[in-house]
Order: sequence, then C-alpha cells, then structure tokens
Amino acid sequence: MKLSDWLERNRWVWSLIGVLVLWAILSALTSRFSLHSLSGVAVSASFLTIVALGQMLVVTTGRGNIDLSIASVLTLSAYASIVVTQGVDGRLPLALATVVGIGLVTGAVNALLVVAVRIPAIIATLATGYILATGTLIANRWAAGFSVSPLLKTLTAGRVEGVPIMLIIALIAVAGAGFLLRRTVYGRRLSAVGQNERAAELAGIRTGRVITAAFLASSVLAALTGLLLGAYVGGAFLEMGTPYLLQSVGAVVLGGSLIFGGSSTALGTFFGSLLLVLIVTTMQIAGLPPGTQDIVQGLAVIAVLALAGGGAVRRRRAAVPPAAALGAGRA
Amino acid sequence: MDAIALPTEADTEPATRSAGTAVARLGGISKAFGPTQANDRIDLVVEASDVLGLVGGNGAGKSTLMRILCGVTRADAGTIEIGGVGIDTGLYDTRLAQAGGIRIVHQELSLCDNLSVAENFFLEAPEAAQPLPGWRRIYRARAHAALDEVFPGHGIDVDAPVGHLQIGQRQMVEIARAVTAPKVRLIILDEPTSSLGLERSRQLRAFIRARAAAGLAFIFISHKLQEVVEIATAILVLRNGRVAWTGSSAEASVAALVAAMGGPTEGALRSRRAARPAVAADAAGIVRISGDVVAPLGRDVVLRAGEVVGLAGLEGSGQRELLHRLFGRVQDGIARQGKASFVSGDRQKEGVFPLWSVLNNIALGRQSGRPPLGLVSEPAERSAARGAAERLKLDPARFDSPILDLSGGNQQKALVARALVGDAATILFDDPTRGVDVAAKEDFYALVSDVARAGRLVVWHSTEDIEFLECDRVLVFSGGKIVRELTGDQISEKAIVDASFAHAGALERDATAGGRGLAEWIVDLAPFASLAAVFALMAYVNPLVVSLFGLDLLLGPAIALVLVALAQMFVVGGSEIDLGVGAFAGLVNVVSATLLVDSPALGLLCLLAGIAAYGLIGATIQVRRIPAIVVTLGASFIWIGIGYTLQPTPGGSSPEWLTALFGWQLFGVPAALVLIGVAGLVALAIDRSPLGVTLRGFGNNANAMKLGGWSPLRYAVARYMIAGLFAMAAGLALTAINTASDINAGGPFTLISVAAVVMGGCALLGGLISPLGVVAGALTLALIGALLGALNVSTDYNAAVQGCLLIGMLVLRAAAARREDAR
Repeated sequence: MKLSDWLERNRWVWSLIGVLVLWAILSALTSRFSLHSLSGVAVSASFLTIVALGQMLVVTTGRGNIDLSIASVLTLSAYASIVVTQGVDGRLPLALATVVGIGLVTGAVNALLVVAVRIPAIIATLATGYILATGTLIANRWAAGFSVSPLLKTLTAGRVEGVPIMLIIALIAVAGAGFLLRRTVYGRRLSAVGQNERAAELAGIRTGRVITAAFLASSVLAALTGLLLGAYVGGAFLEMGTPYLLQSVGAVVLGGSLIFGGSSTALGTFFGSLLLVLIVTTMQIAGLPPGTQDIVQGLAVIAVLALAGGGAVRRRRAAVPPAAALGAGRA
Repeated sequence: MDAIALPTEADTEPATRSAGTAVARLGGISKAFGPTQANDRIDLVVEASDVLGLVGGNGAGKSTLMRILCGVTRADAGTIEIGGVGIDTGLYDTRLAQAGGIRIVHQELSLCDNLSVAENFFLEAPEAAQPLPGWRRIYRARAHAALDEVFPGHGIDVDAPVGHLQIGQRQMVEIARAVTAPKVRLIILDEPTSSLGLERSRQLRAFIRARAAAGLAFIFISHKLQEVVEIATAILVLRNGRVAWTGSSAEASVAALVAAMGGPTEGALRSRRAARPAVAADAAGIVRISGDVVAPLGRDVVLRAGEVVGLAGLEGSGQRELLHRLFGRVQDGIARQGKASFVSGDRQKEGVFPLWSVLNNIALGRQSGRPPLGLVSEPAERSAARGAAERLKLDPARFDSPILDLSGGNQQKALVARALVGDAATILFDDPTRGVDVAAKEDFYALVSDVARAGRLVVWHSTEDIEFLECDRVLVFSGGKIVRELTGDQISEKAIVDASFAHAGALERDATAGGRGLAEWIVDLAPFASLAAVFALMAYVNPLVVSLFGLDLLLGPAIALVLVALAQMFVVGGSEIDLGVGAFAGLVNVVSATLLVDSPALGLLCLLAGIAAYGLIGATIQVRRIPAIVVTLGASFIWIGIGYTLQPTPGGSSPEWLTALFGWQLFGVPAALVLIGVAGLVALAIDRSPLGVTLRGFGNNANAMKLGGWSPLRYAVARYMIAGLFAMAAGLALTAINTASDINAGGPFTLISVAAVVMGGCALLGGLISPLGVVAGALTLALIGALLGALNVSTDYNAAVQGCLLIGMLVLRAAAARREDAR
C-alpha cells in the first residue's frame, strides 16, 4: 500500500504529528513545560475527548449535522450532579441516573426534531440548548455550596501509577467508539447514512434510528462529562460548557473526521482534543489574554477546515464521475 | 466555474461571420471518467439552419458530449471552434459557450423554481435589467412573447413561480426561454418532448422548422427516433462513446438508427423472454396492489414470485411513486410478503456510498435486519459478495477499489450485487440501465432473467420503453394510476406509448398552475397576524403601549434585533446559517463605542475591515466547500475575542452623530420606529432588485445558475457582505440606544435572528425569503420579551421561551408543508 493511501485511511496521524511537534517546541522553548504539565494537558484533553466523541458521532451522520446543545447539557448536568449528590457518595447513583436522564431526554428531543420533524440539526440543537440554558440559570440559584462527591473527586483527579484516571477513562471511551465505528453493524450503518442518506434508506437502513442513536450518545456523553468536570473543578458555574462547543467541533475536525460526515476516526478525535488543549495551554503559558485565545481557536478551526476542504477527500479518491461533474466544477 | 481569468466576451465574438462558418465545430473530442471512455474522438459540426439529430442509447456519451459543448465539462483532448474561432479546450467554459450563443435545454430542468417565469427569463439575459423599480416589466413582456411564439395558447402566467407549474409547463418555459434568448445561435434540446403532450410537441417541431429556416441551428436529442428522423436534417449516432453513424436524415430510417445504436433489439429481448420458462400459474403471490392506483383497471393487481413486471408510462406518471411504495413498510393498498431491496439507476444520489470500497458497498446488503451491535467480518463479507459478483460478471479483484473508480456499468453491477447478497423476495429496479454501456446492459438483462427464474419477484421501472419487451407483464401508468396491464405478446413499444398517452391530454388541461391557494395566503400573513395578536395581548395587559411614546419604548430597542434578523435572512436565503451574526453585531457595538469615538478614522477602517471579513467568510465557504455553520461558529469566537481585547469590560460611549441619528422625530413618530420601517424597505428593495433575484436563484438551484454562466463566488461574497452590512447597522443601533458597549450584547441575537427568520416565513432550505415578514417576526419576538416582563416573568425564562417558540414555529411549518405535499 502506498504511503499516500495509508495516510488517506489514517487521517488521525496528522493530529498526532501536530501534538508531537507542538510538544517538542514547548519543551525546547520553556523550562516550565515538563512531562508533568503534559499530564495536566492530558486530563483537560480527556474531558474534551469524551464530549468530542459524541460530537463526532453526530457529525458522522452527515448533512453538516452538529450538536450545538452540548454546552448547555454539560453545564446543566454539572449543576444537577452537585445539587443531587450534596457531597455524599451514597447519592452518586442517583446523580448518575439524573445526569444520564438529562442526556437521554435532550438527545431524544434533538433526534425527534431532526428525524421526525426534519428540522436542520443546527437549529434544533441551538433551540434545545437555549431552553436548557434557562434550566442552568434556575439551577444556578438553587445550587448553594460547592460540595462534590469525594469518590468522584478521586476518580477525576486521581492517578494510577502516575497516569491520570481521567486519561484512562477517556482512552477506554476512544477504544469503544473506535470499535463501534470500525467493527460493528451500527458503525457501518452510521457511515452509510453520513455518506448518502437517501442511498442508505434505499439499502434498507432505518436511517432515523441510526441518527437518533448518534444524538442520544452525544447528549449522554456531554452529560457525563458535566458530572466528571463538575467533580474535577469542584463545582459548577454558568459558562462552564461554552468552550466545549467550538472545541468539540474543532477536535473532530482536527482529528481528520470529515465535517460532511460518513467517515470518522475516534483516535483522531482524541489526538485532536489533545492538540487543541495543547494550543490553549501554549497560549496560556505565553501569557496571551483570553480574547486572543478565542481568536486563535476560531482561526485554527477555520484554517484547518479551509485547508482540508469539504469535498477534497472525496475528490482525491476518485475521478469525478459524470453525474457529479455537473456540480463539481474545477477542483 | 470561477476564479479563472477569462477573455472578455468581445474577444470571442467573431468580427464577421462568413457564410458557411460552422456555429460549432468539435473535433476529435475525447473524455474519460476514470476507466470509462465516455467520448472517444468524436467529431461534430453544426452549421446555421442545421437540425442535427443526436441519438444513442443510455450511456452512449451524448450527455457528456453536450456538456463539453456547453463548457460544463472539460474535454481531455480535441478541438473546439465556436463561430469560426478556435478556443483552447482548457479555457472553454460555460461563459464562453453562452457568449458563443449556445443554449441547452435539459432533462434535469435548469430553472429556479422559486422565481417567477419572468424572473427566470431575466437569469437568461440579465443585460436588460436595471436596478430600478419596474425592471421586471421588460422580462414579463419577453416571457409572454416567447411563450406565445413557441407554444400558442400556452395559458402560463408569467408572474407565477415556476415551482407552481406542472412539469410539462416548466419544460415549455425552459424551451421558450432558450430559443428566444438574444444572440442565440445554437439550441441543444435534450429530450424536449419527454413531458409534452402531442399538441405541444407538434407546436415545438413546427417552431424548430420555422426558426431553422431563419438561420438558427439546433441539436435535437431524443429517444423517439421517429421524431428525430422527421425533424432533423442530419443525424449523428453515438455508441459506447464513439460515432457509430453519421449522415443526412434522408438516408436514415428508424430501423437503421436502431441497428447503429447497437442497443437491445426488439427481437433479442423478445427471444430472451420466450426462452424463460413461463411463470407457474400457482406461483406464490408476493405483492398485491389495490386501492386508488388500480382504479382504472377495476381490480387488484397481484405480482407473483418468478415474474418480471415492468412499470411503464410517460416520465412522472406515478411509476416511481409505486416503486417507492412497494419498498416502504406498511402502506394502504400495498401488501407485500418478505423483504424488498431497491436498486436505483441514479447511482450518485440513491446508490453508491462514495467513500467506500466496492466490497463495503456490496456487503451492506447483508446487514439488513441484524442487531446494531453485531460484528462485521470482512472475510465472510468477501465470500458472500464473491458469489453475487460472479453471477454479474463483476471482477472480484476490484473489490478493494473505491467504488467511484468503477465505470457506470460496473458501479451498477455492484449495486445489483448488494441487492442479491440479501434475502429479499422482491427486487425493485428504478431505471437501472441509466448511463450504462451496451455490454453491461446485456449482462444486466441476462441477470434479470436469472434472478426471476430463481424465484424472486422483479419489479422494473424503465425510461426506455424497449426494455419492457424483457418483461412478463407491464403495468402502464398515466396521471398517477395504472391504466393498462399488458402481458406476454401484447407488450410492444407502440402499445405502451398508446396507453401512456391515453390520459395524458387530460393532464395538461386542468392547469390550475399559477393560482395561489388560500393556505399560501395564510402562511404569508402569519407573521403579521401573530405580531398583531401579541401586540393586542400587550395592549390588554398594559393599555399605555397604544401610544407613540409607548410604542417607542416598546419597539425602539427592537431595531437591533430587526437588523440582525435581516442580516440572517440573507444568509438563510443561500440555505446557510450564520452563527456569528450576533457576536459580529456585538463587536461593531464595541468598536463604535470605543474606537469610533476616540479616533473616528481608525474606527471607520475597522468597520470596513469587518465588512471585508464577512465577504472573506463567504468566499471561504464557497471556494473550499465547507459548512457555513462551522466557519461562522469559528468566526463568532474571533469576533468575541477581538471585542474582549478592545474592551475587556462593558463601557464606552456613543459618538454624538450616532446618537443624533437615532434621536429625531418625523411628524411625532420617533426615529427608531421610522428606521425599523426603513430597514425593512431597504431589505425588500434589495430582495426585489436584480441582485436579490440572482441571490435567490443561487439559494434555490446553484447548479443551474453556474450553468447559466453566473459566478457563485461573486454572489457568495455579495450575500455575506450584505449580511455584514445589516449586522453592522445592528451594532451601531445597539451603541446609539445603549450609549455604551458590551461584547456580549449581541450574542443572544443569533438564536432570535434565526427564530425571526423562520417566523417571518423564510424557508431554511434557501431561496425563499420575505423581508417584511422577517421584520414582523423580529418585532413579535421582541414584544414577547416585553410581554413576559409585563407579566412579571423572570428574564431567566426568555431564552427558554424563545427556544420553545422557534421549535414550535418549525414544527407548525413542517406540519403545514406536509399537508401541502399531501395535496
């Protein structure tokens, strides 16, 4: 197999290279950056990875689908877990059930709007996100104190043999998502729906169910991240989920998944998360103000997308067939 | 079709045209798509007054040749000479073809169906349009004159949106538009009579003769060979991408053309069917069709295992609908035993998964009915696919190639293999031999016999009537119903055509097209009605609002929202969404309250840069083909970042002139109210102008616009810059009203602007916008916020109420659209 083919099939390599290069530069330039701070980066990236894996599934369903409600789901879940646990480990199962419930209900509403009512995903999830935002405002008034469950705190901040437990959780999630995409019937169906929904339907796939599952997974993963992140930072606050909106899309895109759906890589999403968190960390170390950090993140996402190009991968793979030539124009 | 420097149109106009100069001369044209040689050294010459008949089976290369002639597809090799001037094939494109007077009328219609008939005439010849009110008049007159000339007694309303016309009427509009275009020299008519009734078809042929005598050249493409022989002066026959025969039509006959095309002959198809054992009388019935669709027959139709059943009729007579109903799950009037699988001839849209290998494309057929978490095993898939592929003569060595590397015929074989690896009792074919070469067709016909003999039911819809000779039974459709059932020797092309047309005349006569239903008026008025309702409620809660002062207090702050919503509207008109529009308004708010006060020149420069950045966003999205959502989401972070950097905490002040701009009165009416009206009217004026019509055209049918020589890049940039200007006005309004700035001030506007656009009656799919409706929608949403305040509801709930309203509106519109479809 030629190298270019191999790279085409393993697009996650690019984000790995990005991580290694940025890490090398950081280590060389600043003495403050060490293996220890890399593990701090890894923990931050782990939270992002879990959210981004859900986003990745939604993106894979194609037609430019994106879940914009995850920021609110994450914040609301963090509040809910704190309100429910009240710092008592014994109430953890209840908190877990509440958080998963929030995820399932939101995901189900999103899926209902997208699949049954055929509202574009961005608008449906934008709207549900706003409705949940009201929920967080109300929760914010209720949630007195910042007492998190000690067990959860240990889980999120602890280490095994120096390896952060969160990283292990994230890697398990990545392995699971990778297996789902590559080895299961669902993974095939998801990819088929993302490439060509009409053809998938005519091939006998119940596309509605496939899309619904992706939205459910996205919301539940965001909700679980809210639970874990709340425990890690020791509380919940209103704008907690906001950065994850752009970053989750950014991680998916940086990792080499196709923004128009149909082909995704869980490993790439992991490295994409790591790369994005590294970029932010670099900016923090460099002492850039938060405004500039926003600008750089926005530019990075647009630049990567513009370089990859929406149709680029498809066009590179094959000569343009006659029917597509009409619309494809000059590459 | 953009970003390439072009010679000006004047360069391509030949200075003088000597007699005998060919209108178009193609020499040695070759074009390959992957392994398929679509055109192989084809010569084609058309002179003035020629009517060149172009014939060939599906996949013979006619469409590719015509696309090359129109500049849509670039030839790999060969020469192109238009009006006596040789043009480099590498530079030849749609604009040069247009300039050379070449027009095509396709099977896939190239009209924008959201625009009126007259506006579509504008797209064809925009030179006569001026950005003045009443500019449509000239196109209305042109449309009338053109339709009257080609199709006397057409009865088409030139102000009706094309989408409201019936398919035959659309084809009439398209033909009339092309043949009467100014400076036109060569018209390519691709299956022009496929949707026309006998009378219209006769009118068209009479027109072609008259215009050809006057010097216009035509290329006439048709499956109806008799028509071609009658109308053409010369005929060119293509077969597998090569010229199979060429000569004057006097030397041609239908039989000779059929022989030259090399496609299936009547005899071969008949004898294959005869060789197939007869369907057993006691074969199990698999499908029963009853209800409305069989009403003309007066009895149910039962399809049995082992049968090959054809669905025939004029295109769009209900064959496809029945095929899809047969595939669906539980339906009224359709009972089906066992599973069904579907094979479409529209491979790109309905068949292939372009990112996958051939093997994955085939193997998907095995996975129906399996649990989602079941494992897939490649070796098992490979062996299952191998069996199906061998029956189809598809080489298993190609299993690992990307599906798009295969020729059309082989792609189709892979799709048929997908249907065969499953255990479906019924296989549904939707025009399966479209764009397939002759050899692959033969393999396919043999396979159909095979599959049926093995005990499956094959239901086959074709657009080539000759293929029905392969069938055991043919159901002929007309006007959505089965009007004839032909079996065995009754099946002939003539019998099918006769039955197809039996009811076709009735179709064209009940032309209610162009009229607007009551439901549409209600949808159009909904934004204004809901504004009135909310306002009435508000007045009931607090009677003070019914005064100019009250209105100013209530609606004054809404001007920013109105402007953001109008900005969003233009983006939505291109079927995209701007997630950064609120943040951009917030940034303008910050810039105008800080830089513009301290150093006006720098502030102005920043604002101009902002508009340029919006244009750049439009260009990036268009050139790189990436989703607008992600780009604008990224941009929103950039706007907010810049805003924070300029002004970390809220503050600043409004420039005096800006405050004054919002502080006057006109006959006692406060400025804000007047400005809201002005904003709406400006947006309306843009939308109604030639530019606005062009933008709507792109939102509806970008491919047709490109084909017509319009630059997508230029109009994407224009669209985003218009949106940027409105968003900027919103930011300035925020500054004037709040006399301070906050980068977060604009954020919430993003969702509300989408909601206002939806409430205003715009279609999220693009191409349909309504500026005044959007103004009403935005005001309604602003009033709802105020209403909640008056009812003592915490502002915490604003976001939830707005979100719910947006969802509610969309659900209602979806329900209304569904009812519309059902009608």
